[in-house]
Amino acid sequence: MSASQSAVRSRAEAVAVSRTFDWMILFTLFFVVLGGYHIHYMLTGGDWDFWADWKDRRLWVTVAPIVSITFPAAVQACLWWRYRLPVGATLCVLGLLLGEWINRYLNFWGWTYFPVNFCFPSNLMPGAILLDTILLLGGSMTLTAVVGGLAWGLVFYPGNWPIIAPLHVPVEYNGMMFTLADLQGYHYVRTGTPEYIRMVEKGTLRTFGKDVAPVSAFFSGFVSIIIYFLWHFFGKWFAKTDFISDDEL
Amino acid sequence: MKLIKDKVAKLSFVALLVTMTAAIFYTPTASAHGEKSQAAFMRMRTIHWFDLNWSKEEVAVNDTMTISGKFHVFAGWPETVDKPEVSFLNIGIPGPVFIRAGSWIGGQLVPRSVSLELGQTYDFKVLLKARRPGEWHVHTMMNVQGGGPVIGPGKWVTITGSMGQFTNPLVTLTGQTIDLETYALDNIYFWHAIWYAIGVAWLLFWAKRPMFIPRHIAVSSGKASSLISAGDKKVGTAFALGTVLILGVTMGTTNEKYPVTTPLQAGLMRGIKWIEMPAPTVDVKVEDATYRVPGRAMQMTLTITNNGDSAVRLGEFNTAAVRFLDPDVLEDESGYPDDLLAEEGLTVSDNSPLAPGETRTVNVTASDAAWEVYRLADLIYDPDSRFAGLLFFFDEDGNRQMVMVDAPLIPSFI
Ligand SMILES: [Cu+2]
Repeated sequence: MSASQSAVRSRAEAVAVSRTFDWMILFTLFFVVLGGYHIHYMLTGGDWDFWADWKDRRLWVTVAPIVSITFPAAVQACLWWRYRLPVGATLCVLGLLLGEWINRYLNFWGWTYFPVNFCFPSNLMPGAILLDTILLLGGSMTLTAVVGGLAWGLVFYPGNWPIIAPLHVPVEYNGMMFTLADLQGYHYVRTGTPEYIRMVEKGTLRTFGKDVAPVSAFFSGFVSIIIYFLWHFFGKWFAKTDFISDDEL
Repeated sequence: MKLIKDKVAKLSFVALLVTMTAAIFYTPTASAHGEKSQAAFMRMRTIHWFDLNWSKEEVAVNDTMTISGKFHVFAGWPETVDKPEVSFLNIGIPGPVFIRAGSWIGGQLVPRSVSLELGQTYDFKVLLKARRPGEWHVHTMMNVQGGGPVIGPGKWVTITGSMGQFTNPLVTLTGQTIDLETYALDNIYFWHAIWYAIGVAWLLFWAKRPMFIPRHIAVSSGKASSLISAGDKKVGTAFALGTVLILGVTMGTTNEKYPVTTPLQAGLMRGIKWIEMPAPTVDVKVEDATYRVPGRAMQMTLTITNNGDSAVRLGEFNTAAVRFLDPDVLEDESGYPDDLLAEEGLTVSDNSPLAPGETRTVNVTASDAAWEVYRLADLIYDPDSRFAGLLFFFDEDGNRQMVMVDAPLIPSFI
């Protein structure tokens, strides 16, 4: 498919074809990323993202950003390096959230009848916007990794707090104190998820009193920086054209 | 061009397939019918459920029922399964068709995992509130960390009414009355919609201009810097600052709206009270035990000694929640599930009252189709071919004694 064998006859036609191509690529990329990222996130973040009673101030805050910065880093690397498009992270998170919402609404609620207020996904959008805008403004992958990676970890909790705060209101139930989220986990029976596999409020940050969320977020941000670097290289490697032999180009 | 279009179309299709098949179809396990596929020794030598009672067979949405009874934690717990040091009293239902309104072991509310002691017997109760109409198999269930779920007997319960009527009202410690079924739902949708819209706006800002081919040509010919304008950077700054601003403001307003929040509650509960069972005055020695495959019957030779002060008879053999009864001694009046009840399944060669001080050797046969139906016969294929169960003896006044048996089992194929 070289230009000399011209499939188009005029510049206007070339522009139109190029636009069609844009939308097809974007559409394809969106769904490929949606599928890959969604599977990856389910395997690594899994229950922390599925259930309101796993969304705690220690482990969820730490784990979710670390395992979710992967695809944004890789797709950013590809789209920036090849096209100077600062939309990689946002594209990933839009895909992930769409996939998650379809899954939670149709399967968790529609098929298994878990209330949506118990199985909604975490919000990753603020971090994605920051990651993309930092890349645009700084124009540097290293800067994006360090500043963006840290921001990714730091804004995760604030970005979700307005959503989960109502579920952290305490309630007394049969002589014990629960948060409403705990009570959801107790009420809405999960035969496959016994209480002991719930990994919340575990860790060693006891010296920080009750303000562990910021500390967890900082830690998460630091690890996110490292993961960003790692996946950024995956992305670059993936975006190479070595896979296609020259005569195909 | 057509070629490329075809290729892209093909790719899109593949991508769609990948997406659809993989993640989107994930559903949390809803099935509760693992009881028959679970290894026989898991059911025979871990948790023994008995004296079970399902308070209702039909219940309307929003009404409650209880499952109560006792379980014995088998002292000869198999080596291949982790000890029940971290266990959770669950309920085997297909997803939240009921909500678990309460669960107790030894009178203690157990929303968390508990530590159980081998060889002890506990009483338990689970309170269920009907939510989704249908016919459901409701099982007792104990999850054991490192051991998996130990599923107890199940009974069919019908829920009538409509799920739309289900409510789950609560009063929080801050004095609000809420319905947990729909609580905060609008808030969740609202924030997700807002942030999704912001993301879409950012993507469209870039997608509304030529994207891949022209930009790729520009980048590869060294004109990358021409692709980002000062205007783009202004918009980028606005998005970045806007994001930080929204986060700051919503943190503040949320904390104002919900001044009292607590961390999620978790932790292991120890010191759960068991039932103080009097030491049995009947002593049972298993001389030998065989399982006859063609007859679907287990035969045991037992030497029974009565050290008590009243005469006793053997009324029931209970293993893996299947109850074999001698109808002359015991009849079930609890409405125990039919498929797990062998009302005439227990035959004792001499079941006349065993007087105090007397010792007698008898042949006991426990036969019923349940051996096959519940795949208990599979225990002859287990790595450690043993059986275990509860024997219940009764005196004239109906007083009951429970004796554990645990012995090797030899299969017989002819
Ligand atoms: Cu069942």
